[in-house]
Amino acid sequence: MRTTTGPRFAYRLAVVVVAVAVLSALVALFIGRFIETFPYTMSSEAASQPRVATAGSGQTETVIHVEVVGAVGAAIENPRPNDPHPTWVGYLPTTTYKVPANSVVTMVIDQEDTPSGLRNPYWSKAQGIIGGTFHMSYFDDQGNPQEGDFSKIDDAATAAHTFAIPDLGVFVPLEGLNTAAPAGSFNVITFSFQVGKAGVYHWQCFVPCGSGTIYGNGGPMQTLGYMGGFLVVQ
Amino acid sequence: MVNRPERTHTLRLAIAWAVLSVIGVVVAMQVNMPPGDQSQQSVDESSLLRLMLILSTPVFIGVVLFVLYSAFAFRQAPGALEDGPPRLGNARMQWAWVIATAVIVFLLAGIGINGLSNSVAATSFTSSSSLGSSTDEVGSSAGNRLQVQVIAQQWYFTYRYPGYGGAESTHLVIPVNANVELHVTSTDIIHSFWAYQLGVKADANPGVDNITYVTTRKTGFFTVRCAELCGIWHGNMVDTQGEVVSQSDFAAWASALQSSQSDLKLPPYAPEYFPSPRVKGT
Repeated sequence: MRTTTGPRFAYRLAVVVVAVAVLSALVALFIGRFIETFPYTMSSEAASQPRVATAGSGQTETVIHVEVVGAVGAAIENPRPNDPHPTWVGYLPTTTYKVPANSVVTMVIDQEDTPSGLRNPYWSKAQGIIGGTFHMSYFDDQGNPQEGDFSKIDDAATAAHTFAIPDLGVFVPLEGLNTAAPAGSFNVITFSFQVGKAGVYHWQCFVPCGSGTIYGNGGPMQTLGYMGGFLVVQ
Repeated sequence: MVNRPERTHTLRLAIAWAVLSVIGVVVAMQVNMPPGDQSQQSVDESSLLRLMLILSTPVFIGVVLFVLYSAFAFRQAPGALEDGPPRLGNARMQWAWVIATAVIVFLLAGIGINGLSNSVAATSFTSSSSLGSSTDEVGSSAGNRLQVQVIAQQWYFTYRYPGYGGAESTHLVIPVNANVELHVTSTDIIHSFWAYQLGVKADANPGVDNITYVTTRKTGFFTVRCAELCGIWHGNMVDTQGEVVSQSDFAAWASALQSSQSDLKLPPYAPEYFPSPRVKGT
């Protein structure tokens, strides 16, 4: 017959209590770690020199300035040498961006990484951006600076990354830095897109750029804070 | 020989079961089962689900009723420590439930297989040379189906139209009243293409050309989502802007898509785009 007294019951109770305590601590540790490593939110800034004519429309234009690098530990502008994965590719300084609802958002992307290549060349053409073109300053094969407006990159193999917000229909290829470019230089890609109602939209890179992983889709492609994040529209 | 109390129990149960089953079946017939009626496949699936619900309602009611009735009518007296006498053998009862179960299962299996084979038979015995653009009425007959390639990639589906120069789109747009042949593949890992309202789901595997069919019936939007856990953004691999449009709208849309991509260098249309190398970089 079972009993709720005696040393055997006390022993069982102690085991259960300790097990529950250990599991609770592990869960709390996991949640704490997740919150601690979740990319902080960066608000877009008012555009000092608007790219898009929004006068009279009641809209504002704000700017998000980010840096795309081949190794987050060795970035030019916002290096993270203490990152748990300093050799991973990533968007810096963070991957969560807050923008106003019903506004124009201009992305200024300093692209420091060399080409990696699109698996699907379809993404080499920009979609969903105002005017259908992005402005790019880059370096030619002789290492000379060039710039211009483009609707696509000519060769999908020269893409380093993309910036894409699928739910907003925004897909922009980011040309890789030419290896002939001077040390410490980077391409600058600028484009604008329209955001509507409030919501949280995910963005990501479509270049499988996770080096050393199967099909390149592991590591930074699968971890928050590197090659994907959120656009928080408020 | 059935004694009087047992006959009373049987009669009570039978009457209660019959009354509740009629009510249950009438209620079941009012339920709109998913996925709807936007394609012939979804109509078939909805009908089959409704039939399954109607057939299973009396079975469910019978089981629950018997359990509840037994709990009250055959409750053991307080303090009793022995089971009742064992009942061995009842051939009539055993034959009845085996046959009834078999009839229900084989009937549903037959209807399901028939639905699946009809879906494929409508299009599968014809040449695949016609890819969609050769006539004005796209996919309106079995010999003139529209071929669309579904390309899964982490984390979005894109669609190529080989009948329109291999043009590619971020949304699946197909004409109404058309036979559509979907060639589902992946450029990286395993995904699953699921066009919910069309009643179509097919695995998207790298290196595999997985073919499925859909026959559209009604215009309107449908949702495409990935039905295979595929990584961090799997939950966002959704597109609510898939659309079945009129034949004329489709023709206009497809030719506009094709001309807008005249400057885009896409790889030649192929049944699959197997990724290489397997491990990227070092």
